[in-house]
Amino acid sequence: MLLVRDSMSREVVAVSPETTAAQALALCRERRIRHLPVLDGGRLVGVVSDRDLRSATLVLGDPERAAALERIRAMEVMTREPVTAHPDDPVESAANAMRERWIGCLPVLDDDELVGIITSSDVMEALVFLVGAHEPGSRLEIVVPDRPGTLAGAAGIFGELGINIVSVAMGSRREEMPDGSPGRAVVFRVDTVNPGRATGVLEQAGYRVLWPPTIPV
Amino acid sequence: MSGRSVVVHGRSLEDYGFGEGHPFNPIRLRMTMELCGSLGLLEGYDSFEPEPATEADLLTVHSLTYLRLVQEAGRGVGDTADLLQYGIGGSDNPVTPHVHDACARVVGAVLGACRMVMSGETTHAMCISGGLHHARRSRASGFCFYNDAGVAIARLKEENPVIRVAYVDTDAHHGDGVQWMFYDDPDVLTVSMHESGRYLFPGTGGIEERGRDGGIGYSVNAPLEPFTDDESWISCFDALVPEVLRAFAPDIIISQNGCDAHALDPLTHLRATTRLYEHVPKKIHDLAHELCDGRWVATGGGGYDIWRVVPRAWTMLWAALSHQELPEKVPQDWTSRRAEQSPVELPFLMRDDPLDYPPIDRADEISTRNRKTVEDLLEKVLPLIEERRTPTWRKRPDGC
Repeated sequence: MLLVRDSMSREVVAVSPETTAAQALALCRERRIRHLPVLDGGRLVGVVSDRDLRSATLVLGDPERAAALERIRAMEVMTREPVTAHPDDPVESAANAMRERWIGCLPVLDDDELVGIITSSDVMEALVFLVGAHEPGSRLEIVVPDRPGTLAGAAGIFGELGINIVSVAMGSRREEMPDGSPGRAVVFRVDTVNPGRATGVLEQAGYRVLWPPTIPV
Repeated sequence: MSGRSVVVHGRSLEDYGFGEGHPFNPIRLRMTMELCGSLGLLEGYDSFEPEPATEADLLTVHSLTYLRLVQEAGRGVGDTADLLQYGIGGSDNPVTPHVHDACARVVGAVLGACRMVMSGETTHAMCISGGLHHARRSRASGFCFYNDAGVAIARLKEENPVIRVAYVDTDAHHGDGVQWMFYDDPDVLTVSMHESGRYLFPGTGGIEERGRDGGIGYSVNAPLEPFTDDESWISCFDALVPEVLRAFAPDIIISQNGCDAHALDPLTHLRATTRLYEHVPKKIHDLAHELCDGRWVATGGGGYDIWRVVPRAWTMLWAALSHQELPEKVPQDWTSRRAEQSPVELPFLMRDDPLDYPPIDRADEISTRNRKTVEDLLEKVLPLIEERRTPTWRKRPDGC
């Protein structure tokens, strides 16, 4: 789960170093994509983005722009030796590589062969699926004591109530328990319209419920 | 305004429910009909109970696999884990022996109501057992097994080839099931106003959900902030719904009148009062007469304060739909009949007293955010709807 191979696009639209900017931009428009790997004899030599292509030519509306687009080749504006990912990389390391370098995609190489491309949109989709936001559910945020077994205790309460858990996210964010002792925030997505049934039980069991709130009447 | 109004209801429609201890309790239907009766609001009005939906009706929007699983689950057949994959069973949608039949009757009632309105037999129809807006093609969800509005709209489209249907959903939860069923269909406009799905079930209904392919612009979602009050709800409704409906020019309006946005509702976090439930049906009624010769079918939906809120809210719906004045007081005989059973004190006035629901500190901030949501939405969605209304739209696809 959560590997680059699970989130990447396998059908890669690539160009050659000799492709003109006009051809490459037309491809971007047709296929609704923003990044094109550049292949030379099957070997990855660069990546060109629609932004590289546009900013390499005259401004929009200039009568000579069309001619310039025909003249410029992908190899002239591409990023050489691009950062790449491997299909078995965790998606979070691919995301981090993009985030640190302010780039929008990574070509995916397996044994020097281009097998896919992963973009920031793919990473966002992975996030949506990770938290289960595409499935019907309610969001519940609680604080569990920062010690072994407490997450299981909270999850067990849902189990006893017959409520299915769609996803769980527990990170490094610290929160205080009602008595001031250290705790960690956990977000559950649960498959029920009525999470209120669980919040009362969770509170009684000593967990702190951040959402849903008690309704001020 | 004029036109004939009918109630589509019968005792057998009260079979759809999940027993004591489950929030979706059909006693709210009984109490609503009793309250309307006690107030004399049903005198001289006809009541109908149409045939249950057939399998063929249900299959217009549901899969055969799912339908068979629901039937089998009711007979106690079927693997529990397997059924859960289809949302069948579990705490929200428990299996009851007659769930298929009971739900098919609800769907049949709403379908029948729509057909009566389209044929001109009646102008308006109310069917409070309907409103099961979460049911999906192959999944029970949020107390809903079959999607009554979905089936009704699909059938109306088959029976009236050029019909345009507006579906207006003011339940506190997003009307996801109906939206997804017609997400790419420019002849079905779905408008849903609901508590933001950031936290609340089902989690969808953001303003960016606007439809797909040819249906872009024909799904309209206004997510409201938690703790939204009447004032903000009503001004958002008035800013949004008339405009998009006028742009769309429907042939019939189907409204889902869930009343779980009330401050007392235990499942949501909004702060509406009965003022909202008096306002919304009146406005939809006006729009139906303005835009489509009065053709309007109103369904129920969510509403989980079944003692204090639901009977009054849906009595308001009936009063608006049947052109009657709403009496001021809750009749004594109704209260005394149910007082013993009710865990809470029953109200004695039909309308909430605003003094009981003072604005909260963040009210201004909430209403500013809601106003901005609706402004954004109108700006993005209106041009899409209007474009298709001009004569050249038939040329469409690729260029636009």
